[in-house]
Amino acid sequence: MSEIKITGYKCTECGRVHYPQHEQCLSCKGRDFEPLAPEGDATLLAYTQIFNLPWGFDERFLIIGVGMFENGIKAMGQIKADSLDGIATGMKLKPSWEPVRVQYGEPVLGLKYEPV
Amino acid sequence: MAVDMELEAVLRPPEYPQASYPPKVITLANGKHMTVREVTRDDVPTLLKAVHPTLFIDKDYYNVVGARIYAELLAWQYYRVQNEFCLVGQIDGIMVGMVNSRMYTAETGMSLHTLAIDRGLRVGAHLFAAKMEHHIEYLGQDEVLIVAESPIGFRRWMIEYGLIPTTIPHELGGAPSFRLTRDLYFATKSRLVVGDRPVPDDLMALAEKEIIVANEAMIREKIAGLKGR
Amino acid sequence: MRDVAIIGVGMIPFGRRDQDTLVDMLAYASLKALDDAKLGEKAVDAVYVGNMGGGILQHQTAIASALVDRLSLLPAAADTVENGPASGGSAMKNGVLAVASGYYDAVLVAGGEKMREVTGWRATDFVATLTHPEVEYPYGITLPGMAGMFTRLYMETYGLTREMLVAIAIKNQAMGALNPYAHVEMNITKEGILDSPHSVVNNPTVADPLHLYDACPVSDGAAAVLLCPLDQAKKLTEHVPVVVAGFGQATDTHTLQEREDPTDLKSVTLASQQAYKRAGIEPKDIDVAELHDAFTILEVAESEHVGFFEKGEGGKAALAGETKLGGKIPINVSGGLKARGHPVGATGVAQIVDITWQLRHELPKGRQVENATYGLTVNFGGFGNNVLSFIMKRA
Repeated sequence: MSEIKITGYKCTECGRVHYPQHEQCLSCKGRDFEPLAPEGDATLLAYTQIFNLPWGFDERFLIIGVGMFENGIKAMGQIKADSLDGIATGMKLKPSWEPVRVQYGEPVLGLKYEPV
Repeated sequence: MAVDMELEAVLRPPEYPQASYPPKVITLANGKHMTVREVTRDDVPTLLKAVHPTLFIDKDYYNVVGARIYAELLAWQYYRVQNEFCLVGQIDGIMVGMVNSRMYTAETGMSLHTLAIDRGLRVGAHLFAAKMEHHIEYLGQDEVLIVAESPIGFRRWMIEYGLIPTTIPHELGGAPSFRLTRDLYFATKSRLVVGDRPVPDDLMALAEKEIIVANEAMIREKIAGLKGR
Repeated sequence: MRDVAIIGVGMIPFGRRDQDTLVDMLAYASLKALDDAKLGEKAVDAVYVGNMGGGILQHQTAIASALVDRLSLLPAAADTVENGPASGGSAMKNGVLAVASGYYDAVLVAGGEKMREVTGWRATDFVATLTHPEVEYPYGITLPGMAGMFTRLYMETYGLTREMLVAIAIKNQAMGALNPYAHVEMNITKEGILDSPHSVVNNPTVADPLHLYDACPVSDGAAAVLLCPLDQAKKLTEHVPVVVAGFGQATDTHTLQEREDPTDLKSVTLASQQAYKRAGIEPKDIDVAELHDAFTILEVAESEHVGFFEKGEGGKAALAGETKLGGKIPINVSGGLKARGHPVGATGVAQIVDITWQLRHELPKGRQVENATYGLTVNFGGFGNNVLSFIMKRA
């Protein structure tokens, strides 16, 4: 899954996985981390369908969720779906790295999830 | 004003057959009931009283919209616009908003304006939807061409209905029109077009008895005032 | 540390204030607070201004310096305090510490925001700048979106229902309708926003499962308070002094996903516990509360985390009327952010103003909590990653 350009950080002292980066471990204040790439599919932890989007989006809505990868990295992404039908906490999602928006005329790449 | 019917035959635009809009009633967020009904040319002098204060509100393009509606209503009253119709929203007889539009051809509607006087109750959204409902379901048209003066309101419609951009100049100033097709209308109807028919007799009688227009100061306050969402 | 008293308060009506600049609004609210007290010859030593968006929305920074000049309060010390939607609370905290420390005697705290200058889409984007720039912001997440995810988790975990949230919306809008300072003065009904099939248009989804009437409006507005040491208060005000009995502030992870239990608003619990400890009281001693209900779900969650109800019971309590005026613990008698409005930098200070009026017993019948002695506020920054709580007591 190296094309998913997210780096998680596993504390070498206590093993807690972090994303985003922290200078000290949230649990034990350790300073040493092993970088991790997201592995496997993700499990959906939380989601919503947003209709009032910020400036910069022309879509009518976005479905956004937080998924947890098999190695513990939790990451937000846009869910590829036309509605919330069939979307449920605990479902499996296949990640990809794609344009998620356009900023200053340039596409911004980020995490997208496809329901498995 | 004396009217020479021989001259009128030359000056009036030819009219397509035009079905009337069956009135409906909508329950608003505050629990009140808004009747939506089609009004006639005879109602224009009353409607102009509601539109007049907007001519002097220089925010949110109300003055442009107001001036254009004023002209459209007068032109309709004097048979100088083809197949125009006007729907009015009333709560307890009081006018809270109106929409107007016309049949450009038998198949194509040309949306004109939406004016919400009571704000914060989605009156504009309900009346715009009713206008589209009339074009597609009762006038039997295939599409409606839409444009708007206010960028905020328009972007909302563009996104909510998924309107299709075209290069067809809209008769309101020539800006490129956006198209609502029959398919798009029915795809969005369940979440955008609501109302109950028939209107209960007592509500209908109240609405038809008189279109009550608030005074100028109150209309200006409702539209341009601080309160409401 | 000295006891700190609130001797003057002021607020301007919240809403859409096209005619006013940001500094105009702050100045008007500040003058009201100054006039509400009786400073006489005494100078204001320091000014703290809570504001989140001046630099982004108004292209203006150093707001506190501008306010001091506008009010001719030179050479007072002045700081602009930015803490997202908790900017007002943070400004208040700084003001309280300034007086409590003994360093300053008369401190003006003001909070203001002018959000209606831009379209709703741009205002939504502005608020979204508080999300994590790499992990959250790029995806188009909004604060309602965060609240939507949180609400769904609450529903799945505790059985919270839409009826419970609607009960809060109706309660707060009903109180807002009585509040001359409120942005939204409109009663709503359960039929209109939930039961009727027409509610799909009246109350559309904003961020599932939250709807339009679950969310506060986008507002302009400002509020201000004047602080002094308690032992000087009687000379400087004709009102009953209101004492800042305690405050607390706590932070949590920036992203919701890194919290061990994302429904656990630890920062609210810790901030309020700190406040209770300093005030020497317990949740049951609070007579009236202003909680940060940018979304109805937050009133539910905060009412639990400050200890008014057990976890998972806040929604039921609201549905049963326990949080109405006259109920077990009146919450958001002002109308809350939901109806009074939420000019983000102003809110934390506006909550203090509303509680002060309650504890002075100055509000009209129908808005006054009888015999209110202790009041509590929660000002919620980020999505619960920086929270302040204040407890005030009638002197």
